[in-house]
Amino acid sequence: MGLVQRIIEASGISTVTLSWMPDLTRRVGVPRLAGISYPLSRPLGRPGDADGQRAVLRATLGLLEGATEPDTYVELPFEWPETVAQARNASKDVPPSPIAALLVKQPWLIPKLYSGHIPS
Amino acid sequence: MLPGSESWEGSGPIGGASIAIAMAIDSYRYVDFATRQIMKAWAARQEPGVIPFTPLAKPLRECTVALLSSAGIARNDDRPFDQDGERQNPWWGDPSFRKIPLGTTEKDIRIYHLHIDPRFGEADLDVVLPMRRLSELAREGMVGRPAPTHYSTMGYILEPTELVEKTAPAIAASLHEEGVDALVLVPV
Repeated sequence: MGLVQRIIEASGISTVTLSWMPDLTRRVGVPRLAGISYPLSRPLGRPGDADGQRAVLRATLGLLEGATEPDTYVELPFEWPETVAQARNASKDVPPSPIAALLVKQPWLIPKLYSGHIPS
Repeated sequence: MLPGSESWEGSGPIGGASIAIAMAIDSYRYVDFATRQIMKAWAARQEPGVIPFTPLAKPLRECTVALLSSAGIARNDDRPFDQDGERQNPWWGDPSFRKIPLGTTEKDIRIYHLHIDPRFGEADLDVVLPMRRLSELAREGMVGRPAPTHYSTMGYILEPTELVEKTAPAIAASLHEEGVDALVLVPV
């Protein structure tokens, strides 16, 4: 997503990312980034929580006017209303992704991830 | 930066450029060991270089705003993201994108992403692509208007050539065609 953001920004459109994994997004180098301490799969908030979702989107949009230079990063002050264990438990019946299942079985493949030579 | 931030050292276990970034947000506590390895390895391979910057062309309250989510959302009348291809080759992820017209709701879509829990976004699409919230903020006057079209990719892409060379330029072209001034990206 960070790579896509850079291309669209360079094409002349102002962009901002709302990221639950801001350290990853920032490594790519993006113009505007809002970090949020929410679990994956629900970056705007809980289903049905329109007020909470709107507050998150409002704060993210605020960076479009607030930022004056690239690599502007803000950590949004929102807190997830469950413990980490509760948030993870909610998705514990979701099967692992194909790559996660493969790496658990064959952990010696993990260095391939770092090599940049991704098997095609 | 919030008080109590800890320094995050972004180098991988077998080296690579290291940038110390102060982060209070722990992105890894919600994911399993293997996913953490995938994320950290991906981050270690990034080289930022010069970061582009386009100042907002006019006040936000006059801007047309679009959304892009990496949840792997496809309308039921559109082509799904290719999950079988990824199951056959777990190193591969579908690098294409789908257009999601404004007004599309969770009843009209499915989420095709093997690395997330799709049920939250399928229960309430605004959790991953907040088109209704954007429309509300337009009515409030914070932004000018929501774009007629919004977008989804599928976020698991280890090898980004097609994403960079085809998908991103195609999304950019569509945004320009619709006169979009600003884009909010939501990795999921």
